[in-house]
Amino acid sequence: MNAISPNPSRAYDLNFARYVYENIDGGERLRMCMQCGACSGSCPIGQQMDHGPRKLFMMIRAGMKEAVLTSNTIWNCVSCYNCVVRCPRKVPITYILHDLANLAVREGFDAAKKADNARFAKAFMWSARKYGRTDERLVTGIYYFSFGLLEGMKRGMGNQKIALNMIKTKRMHLGMPHAIKAKDELQNILAKAQEIQDRHGKGA
Amino acid sequence: MSRTLTYYPGCSSQASAVHLDKSLRAILPPLGVQLRDIDDWNCCGASVGHIEAGHLANSALSARNLANAKAAGPEDVVTPCAACYLNTHYVNESIRGSETLKGDLNEALGVVGKSYDGSLHVRHICELLVTDIGMDAVKAQVKKPLTGLKVAGYVGCQTVRPFANTERANKFDSYDDPTFLDDFTQACGAEALPFKMRTHCCGGSVSVMSPDKGLHLIKELLEEAQKLGADVISTPCPLCQTNVEMYQPEINKRFGTGFNIPVVFYSQLMAVAFGLDPVKDAGLDQNIIKSDKLLGR
Repeated sequence: MNAISPNPSRAYDLNFARYVYENIDGGERLRMCMQCGACSGSCPIGQQMDHGPRKLFMMIRAGMKEAVLTSNTIWNCVSCYNCVVRCPRKVPITYILHDLANLAVREGFDAAKKADNARFAKAFMWSARKYGRTDERLVTGIYYFSFGLLEGMKRGMGNQKIALNMIKTKRMHLGMPHAIKAKDELQNILAKAQEIQDRHGKGA
Repeated sequence: MSRTLTYYPGCSSQASAVHLDKSLRAILPPLGVQLRDIDDWNCCGASVGHIEAGHLANSALSARNLANAKAAGPEDVVTPCAACYLNTHYVNESIRGSETLKGDLNEALGVVGKSYDGSLHVRHICELLVTDIGMDAVKAQVKKPLTGLKVAGYVGCQTVRPFANTERANKFDSYDDPTFLDDFTQACGAEALPFKMRTHCCGGSVSVMSPDKGLHLIKELLEEAQKLGADVISTPCPLCQTNVEMYQPEINKRFGTGFNIPVVFYSQLMAVAFGLDPVKDAGLDQNIIKSDKLLGR
């Protein structure tokens, strides 16, 4: 659990594969991948991925850390679990992609700041941490405005009809966000979990 | 005989899926199930929490819910939301399977004097309906059968798939051809259409954050439902319901289609079939695309 994620100054670094096997959630099963491609073939938006899971896993074996962590494959996962159930070697692909995305966030890769999924995840966890609940309205708003004021307004306007429909059917909460009572308690638990996480397999 | 179960409604129960929560609270008591909410439940992290928070912190969200659930009693935890089920069940089973994770999460819970031993069972409400309640009991409650209503049963991804084919699977999981939703439809007296795309993906949160990537998936679902002549699409998943319903005008604009198909929860169908109030109990006024065939009953 204490391997150090290697420095990406080398394009190929075999330590990266070992790091993934030992530190990424589900990573130990990755050793079993036989490159059949059932994962990439069953992905509903595989065509919009630069590599797809099969190739990405080979790149991990080749030690292509930077290429893996800047790949859009880790950001485009829709979490449908098609690949997970189809994998003949029971590699938990979805979990691995999520944890690789988290590694890219922790290591501060530029792609991890710009990806839609990373921006959305950031807005989402902000709400979960602050209120203990997801406020769909705030999460969407913060996500839109993460692209800048102008783009945020443009996206907001573009989705005005949808928002109006959700308000009309009382499915968009207006007023103060719903919050749990023990916000401090949750924040303390999360802070401790974060601390343990860092203690175990600190990114790089 | 009535039994009480611990209920995890999830964040969508207070926003986009209030009508799922409302209709479940109406249909479960007649089926002999009382719901006791997890005290002060928090967000599960859904599909994106892990990316920002990491594996352990994301798991800690579910650990707090499980600790609060256990403090109230040993009863099974049930949830109607695909993401809540996925995260809570996954974390619960992972705690059972790993002393390391159990130790780490209890260390985190320990800072506020809480703990969790992994002894609860986490279940999806649909699984409860299939396994414990059964279709005979559902049929026994039907007072206004939905005769003639053509229903496309759209199961989606996360309700039955994540644990199928894994050591965490239960009887209910089937990743290619789940039939439970059609059983629900038929128990209500409606016609279950052979909807082949029942487990195709709606894009999940990707459709919300990047419509360019996901809307074609929803369009394909709607096309198939329309081809079959569906009066309504029925689904168990909060995000599927919202995605497939709210994006129809946008899809019509982008692809030149003319979709206007109501998308309802299975529990709304049951509420109407049970003879409960279509608005107060089934929450059908909260669907953006209204189903006259259901509201008129």
